[in-house]
Amino acid sequence: MGREVEEGVTRVLLVDDSPVDRRVVQLLLSSNACAGSFHVIAVDSAKKAIEFLGLKEEGRKEQEQAIDMVLTDYCMPEMTGYELLKAIKALSPLKPIPVIVMSSENEPQRISRCLNAGAEDFIVKPLQSKDVQRLRNCSSVNTQFCNAGSDIKLLPSDHIVVDATAAALLPSSRRRVLRSSSVELSHYFPFLFKFILLVYAILCLGELLHRWSNGCFLNLWCA
Amino acid sequence: MAAAALTNQLNALVNNMFAMGLLDDQFQQLQMLQDSTAPDFVSEVVTLFCDDGERIICELARQLEKPNVDFDRVDSYVHQLKGSSASVGAQKVKNTCIQFREFCQQRSRDGCLKTLDLVRTEFYDLRSKFQAMLQIMNRKAESTEKKKNCDAEAEGAS
Repeated sequence: MGREVEEGVTRVLLVDDSPVDRRVVQLLLSSNACAGSFHVIAVDSAKKAIEFLGLKEEGRKEQEQAIDMVLTDYCMPEMTGYELLKAIKALSPLKPIPVIVMSSENEPQRISRCLNAGAEDFIVKPLQSKDVQRLRNCSSVNTQFCNAGSDIKLLPSDHIVVDATAAALLPSSRRRVLRSSSVELSHYFPFLFKFILLVYAILCLGELLHRWSNGCFLNLWCA
Repeated sequence: MAAAALTNQLNALVNNMFAMGLLDDQFQQLQMLQDSTAPDFVSEVVTLFCDDGERIICELARQLEKPNVDFDRVDSYVHQLKGSSASVGAQKVKNTCIQFREFCQQRSRDGCLKTLDLVRTEFYDLRSKFQAMLQIMNRKAESTEKKKNCDAEAEGAS
């Protein structure tokens, strides 16, 4: 787990209490079809996922390996995937980790709830090869692609009941595009603020030097 | 038995399972993912399913024996079994789990007990076929290995 991961490889934290589902997803993402583009770390509960991500946050200076994406089951005992989603978005609001929720239930309300809470996508189980591209689209490794294609990507796939949920999802998908843009902007606010302060300090210094040099000239004139 | 004969036997067994509605296209998806990077993909997942399914069914029986049945808990276990069945392509077990959940929601103990019997029968039937399948796959792998060794020896001798 502490080993170096190649660039361009999406590091996925997989959260699912079912050992069968965990194994299927692990094998799917490490198959030849995925050409080594995923590195999967699997945990069996949302609590362990939080602990893992919390450790990574604190130990980030020492640990080079971070997580590019969380893929979580919705229905889990003690802490659900929805609660995990909200906790992850709250953990790092400036640089949120993409979260994709999976569920065996194709419930429009559940899907809307997750997307409104910031989930990048919602996939109805069982995960299949055709869902892998959706995972690639949503990882932070491919953020540019994700934002560029977001208007199209955010519409539900053939797993989801399109007629019932397309209208419901579209407004939230637009909100998600806006939200992701505003998150990116807010990420730069501290730097922008520091830059403005620096410019102001330079201007003040310049003014002080100018006045000092004028004062010296006056003194010279007077002498 | 030659690898070709074992392959035919395996295909016949799997096709029969599809024809009887025991498996759906999710199982085909798993078969397609089996390759050189994951040569034991199917056997791993099937073995996990058999072990996990056994555990869940025992737990369901235990829960339904209680004088005051916690139907939410029962529903949670059935949901797990339904999920893993869907992931493996165990269509018949999955569909019975859907019925089971309806009885859980109706808080019907009799309904749950009857459906538990049904899901148990179907699960054990599927499991025995999966075990036969795994045996054939193991024999096929051994046969392939043996042939490779024979070919290597023959090359060495020549």
